[in-house]
Amino acid sequence: MTQSLQLSDVFVAALDAARFQDLETSGVTPLIREKRKAAFAAYRALPMPTVRDEEWRRTDPDQFRIADFQWLPVLASKTAPVGEHDFDASFDVVVSVNEDGYHIADRSGLLAAGKVVVCDLETAARDHASLVAEHVQGAALMEGDRKFTALNGAFWNFGLFIHVPRKVEIPNGILVRYQLGRAGSLLVPKLVVVADEGSSVKVVEMYESGDDAPALCIGVRELYVEQAARLQLFALQEWGRTSFHIGEDWSRVGRDAQIDWVTLTLGSQASKMTMGCDVSAPNSNAYLSGLFFADRDQHVDQRTLQQHSAPNTYSNLLYKGAVKDKGHSVYQGIIGASPGAIKVDAYQMNNNLVLNNGAKADSLPGLKIDADDLKCSHGSTMGNLDPDQLFYLKSRGLSEVEARRMLVLAFFEEVITKIPYAFLQERVREDVNRKI
Amino acid sequence: MPNLETDSKLVTDEYKYGFETLIQSDALPKGLNEDTIRAISAKKNEPQWMTDWRLKAYRRWQKMKEPRWADVTYPPIDYQDICYYSAPKRDGANAEAIDEEMARTFERLGVPLHERNALAGVAVDAVFDSVSVATTQKEKLAEMGVIFCSITEAIHQHPELVQKYLSSVVPVGDNFFAALNSAVFTDGSFVYVPKGLRCPIELSTYFRINAVDTGQFERTLIIADEGSYVSYIEGCTAPSRDRNQLHAAVVELIALEGAEIKYSTVQNWYAGDDEGRGGIYNFVTKRGHCRGRKSKISWTQVEVGSAITWKYPSVILEGDHSVGEFYSVAFTNKKMQADTGTKMIHVGANTRSTIVSKGISAGHSRNSYRGLVQILPSAANARNHTQCDSMLIGSTCSANTYPVIECENETAITEHEATTSKISEEQMFYIMSRGIDEESATSLVVNGFCRDVFKELPMEFSVEAIKLLEIKLEHSVG
Repeated sequence: MTQSLQLSDVFVAALDAARFQDLETSGVTPLIREKRKAAFAAYRALPMPTVRDEEWRRTDPDQFRIADFQWLPVLASKTAPVGEHDFDASFDVVVSVNEDGYHIADRSGLLAAGKVVVCDLETAARDHASLVAEHVQGAALMEGDRKFTALNGAFWNFGLFIHVPRKVEIPNGILVRYQLGRAGSLLVPKLVVVADEGSSVKVVEMYESGDDAPALCIGVRELYVEQAARLQLFALQEWGRTSFHIGEDWSRVGRDAQIDWVTLTLGSQASKMTMGCDVSAPNSNAYLSGLFFADRDQHVDQRTLQQHSAPNTYSNLLYKGAVKDKGHSVYQGIIGASPGAIKVDAYQMNNNLVLNNGAKADSLPGLKIDADDLKCSHGSTMGNLDPDQLFYLKSRGLSEVEARRMLVLAFFEEVITKIPYAFLQERVREDVNRKI
Repeated sequence: MPNLETDSKLVTDEYKYGFETLIQSDALPKGLNEDTIRAISAKKNEPQWMTDWRLKAYRRWQKMKEPRWADVTYPPIDYQDICYYSAPKRDGANAEAIDEEMARTFERLGVPLHERNALAGVAVDAVFDSVSVATTQKEKLAEMGVIFCSITEAIHQHPELVQKYLSSVVPVGDNFFAALNSAVFTDGSFVYVPKGLRCPIELSTYFRINAVDTGQFERTLIIADEGSYVSYIEGCTAPSRDRNQLHAAVVELIALEGAEIKYSTVQNWYAGDDEGRGGIYNFVTKRGHCRGRKSKISWTQVEVGSAITWKYPSVILEGDHSVGEFYSVAFTNKKMQADTGTKMIHVGANTRSTIVSKGISAGHSRNSYRGLVQILPSAANARNHTQCDSMLIGSTCSANTYPVIECENETAITEHEATTSKISEEQMFYIMSRGIDEESATSLVVNGFCRDVFKELPMEFSVEAIKLLEIKLEHSVG
């Protein structure tokens, strides 16, 4: 890196050069060391975002008190599963993670049979070097200069690599669950998924922690959906109310491929997420959905990018959210069409329920169109529950509370039913129910 | 379909307002400092309070930074290389000749300055470079109690009104260009409509920039007292030159209880040539304040000129049951850039706002809609509907939409919808299959696309706007 970059060291809390040196010298494969090094150079050169940046105007980065959290050393592999859930049985592979380590359970023998690769990034760098070289900090990172993406690249303490080979279908999917229990942990997870040509896979990520154990998570995902492949990703964020979450996720969808990406944000004190999706080749499809509910003093800020960098591409986004008590939600979305990206069909819809005075919802849908022969549109609505519907339900003998609950759940049902796992649907409904 | 891309060479010679009036002008030297401001103030023979107010604004402006957030690019502006005051020279002997020349200029622009042209039913205030040169129908309006004059005159004749309302909607330090305007503004219109009067004729200001390297900084203040109504029209043109000129205006509207102000603009400043040389930088702050209950402010704008347009006519809906409207057509072509939209700030209960924005981009232009709808906690039952449509003609232009919606009241309802697409092939095919040529078909489709806005314009203006758009569209296809 150049001199000028090194001159402007901007470190986040204790994630500094000394810490990086420790990490770098603690026996990692050369490929990973290179990747970390490149990310660290970018990280130290990039300024910390401030409320003066347009993207952070509504979410003060200072509320993520990174200095109060202790960076966890790189997690080690455990011999036994970390925690247990009865829904683990619904999946082919279960990756369980907590502060002490991680475990990968090969429940249906797919891993042993070599049908799919699910391993930590170090192992992947040894066994699948070319895949890792291409896909870690690869083409999916559509916005280069991002402090937290770079931070994650340098300091990730849990890296998971999933590769679904050509034409392989993983019937029951892969579960990745994080359960944090100790107060003050700083988890920096990195997930890289490569769904190779013609493959199909479902990945569920779940984040859980207790209300009394504040944690901070700075996560990055890189998702590659190659030609004619299909990836379904469901991310359920249920961190405890004292925790914080920063997420920057990037996906790149290839020719004739499809991504279904559902983001469910229900937990944490404050969260700030960016979900970028590049439909990068003809006939690639993206279906992005989101559900969020901020109650009490929760703050949720989500930003989506639907980038159409090739002609004949399709994207459809639906983000539905509710705010209650003193909750504040921010939705920022951009549909982008690169020059020459004609015959694009893109849609973006953001519906918001403002359930009481004192709560606040912001919606910033946007279009950035540099091509002509296309169809891009967006819609955004805000409002409370429909009084006519409430009246109708009450006239049928439901109490005010029951009627409201039913209508809020009905509002979210459109997103919930996009999840193909019954247990997960039920869990989201319960989460929503508790908040009403 | 024909190749839209290579044939999109609109409006090369059609800017028929591009001529220059050759008259001597009385101008201040270029440059900006406290002496310039004192000199402007002295030329206008202003009272001390006005001079002090300007100086305060200037000092404020010096501490401010030029904003760069808009989706437009332009080289840095040298504020010392602008002439801040230019007026047609009138010395005894040739005064009449000058007046004749001025009258001819406005005649060529289609603006009636002579009372005999009063048939048009419009009262006109004509602003030439830095000063107001004529205001028509003044006496007739005065009989009814309407004050319609240049702002300079108002400062002398009605200081109490000016002092009470000036900068009460757009504070001096509101933004960089508003502060600059407050320091150096030279003229503009002043309107006061008394209680309960429905102003029977339309008031209009025609802005003309003529001199080279002159900035135009106008200030308009319109006050509609309780229960009154006024419709105000603004038109703008400038000669074709290869250097950029700055136009930084501030417009303030105040509607008291039950009053209604309708403000229409047809902006046709010179837009620069095919390579993007020259043209006007149109950086304008326009804001209306619905102060009283049941007041209404409606903005209608047709933006077809300027190299860069950067403006957001806004309404602060403070009075309960007040209404704000924004209807806009923004057409960009060649290398024009437009970043325009509105802000609707709902403060009072039962306030309503409607936004209809139509953007058309052709050539290598950039056209952006940027808007804010803000529902404050006090705005119970507030209602907003926004519709933004963009049409693209040719593949080298871009259209962007950046709306912001903030809602802090549970009883409020907002809806926002935006679309971007190219001119409908199906509609074109249908019209052309009826034997209509492609250019006319395009014009028909575009006019249909803009109809929601044009129908809000006063009738004569509406006809004018449709014609204007037709001219601008010529050669954009085929």
